[in-house]
Amino acid sequence: MTTTVIGESFRPGELEVRSDGTGNLLGSKCRSCGAHFFPIRQACAGCLGQDLETVKFSTEGTLYTYTIVRQSTPAFEVPYALGYVDFPEGVRIMGQIVGVEFDEIAIGMPMTLVLEPFGKDEDGNALTGYRFRPAEADND
Amino acid sequence: MTDVHVVGVGMTRFGKHPDSDATDLGAAALLEAVADAGIDPRIIEAAYVGHVFQGMVTGQRILAQVGLAGLPLANVENACSSGATAIREASLAIRAGENDVVVAIGTEHLTTRFSGALTPDPSDPEAAVGATMPGVYAMRATRYMEEYGMTREQLALIPVKNKANAAANPLAHFRKEITVADVLESRPIADPLRLHDCSPITDGAAAVIVMSDTAAKKYANGRGVRLAASTLRSGSVDVEPTSMTYEPLTWATAKEAYEKSGIGPDEVDFAEVHDCFSIAEVLRVEGLGLFEQGSYPWAVERGEANIDGRLPINPSGGLLGKGHPLGGTGVAQVVELVRQLRGEAGDRQIEGVRVGLAHCRGGKAVGIEGAACTVQILIR
Repeated sequence: MTTTVIGESFRPGELEVRSDGTGNLLGSKCRSCGAHFFPIRQACAGCLGQDLETVKFSTEGTLYTYTIVRQSTPAFEVPYALGYVDFPEGVRIMGQIVGVEFDEIAIGMPMTLVLEPFGKDEDGNALTGYRFRPAEADND
Repeated sequence: MTDVHVVGVGMTRFGKHPDSDATDLGAAALLEAVADAGIDPRIIEAAYVGHVFQGMVTGQRILAQVGLAGLPLANVENACSSGATAIREASLAIRAGENDVVVAIGTEHLTTRFSGALTPDPSDPEAAVGATMPGVYAMRATRYMEEYGMTREQLALIPVKNKANAAANPLAHFRKEITVADVLESRPIADPLRLHDCSPITDGAAAVIVMSDTAAKKYANGRGVRLAASTLRSGSVDVEPTSMTYEPLTWATAKEAYEKSGIGPDEVDFAEVHDCFSIAEVLRVEGLGLFEQGSYPWAVERGEANIDGRLPINPSGGLLGKGHPLGGTGVAQVVELVRQLRGEAGDRQIEGVRVGLAHCRGGKAVGIEGAACTVQILIR
């Protein structure tokens, strides 16, 4: 699936956005013990090793839990769905959930990372952020 | 090593204070604690002052307002555990033998700093995608309901209980009892949580004066309550995703307090715990080992956590009923423990209590289970 990318990553240290419209959340992998972390760390919390590499996380995960936020800061238009997705590398990452009716969201749903417009920079240029969308069925 | 004794306590009314600020409130609480201890304020040797959004050197402003400037003083920020952390610092100064009389103050004028949902620091990656504190706890509630079968009505019994306790507390933000229907019909904040499931935006301050054995012998007149343990932990980094329905940080902090005080969870007579949201009370008391994991909603249904129950939880009204002025909260919990243990809690007095526990837990940062957690055990 391709996504129309309209701007730079909203947080380049956490989300890589490529010119072909694809992207990945970024984190650290410990070369000593194999543990993964989001966001990027300077040392491993498992073994305290400092030999970490920056890795791109999978774009498919499972919804651990969720809520519908109905009161937020002025930066976010309510209501929106928010959830934690567990990725196969062993990290749990929070993001907004789109592409599904609120009352159809369920714990355990397979989810896919999607890139979407997400706010503007200081000069008013549109930025690209990420959200989660229920994974498409296999035959799609 | 000396024990630590809480000898004087003071607390402002919690609520909206449009005509005063965090300094005024802190100073009023301090003066009341001094009067309660019956001491000359000049014997206070040091001060620790907890607050979150009040800016630089609020502690110095408070002491200047009551003429006590010049003391060693540290301002303490640890999110919702700021005031409790100030008490811990004060107790360490006593235990270390550095001081004999120290005051810990917690204050916050939150109505002028925040409205609506509290959020993590804007630099946090989760704040950047729309995390709010009610949202995070709502997600924990969603998961708890899925895992343990807790119903929305059961969860509503917690604000019903705490606001009934607050109605008996003249210093509480809310003084009106509510029903389950009131909770379920209140404005939705983050599903499944509604307005009555959330602690309010509150102004208020509290202060406690702690003393060494030597000073307590001289000044306490039998009114001292022993602070048998005051522990603090910060959350560890998740090496892999962990359950959001259990709190290893709360347990680690409590376990250390149980070991230091020689008191087991089965000996605790009552507790003030950090019920910033209804679901938070469930997670706290189970994390503290006071109730079995997955059992608390049913225990509340049976009345076990009521003031006349087996193990009263949040007799003051808790954060839900008494209010939650961030820096003031942890100190106010200890004020409640002292008043209960002295038998001075009026209409909300629990009969025959000897051991009280206070628990705070605050802050949110990406990738860690919780930011700052404290447990205090007081023994009469």
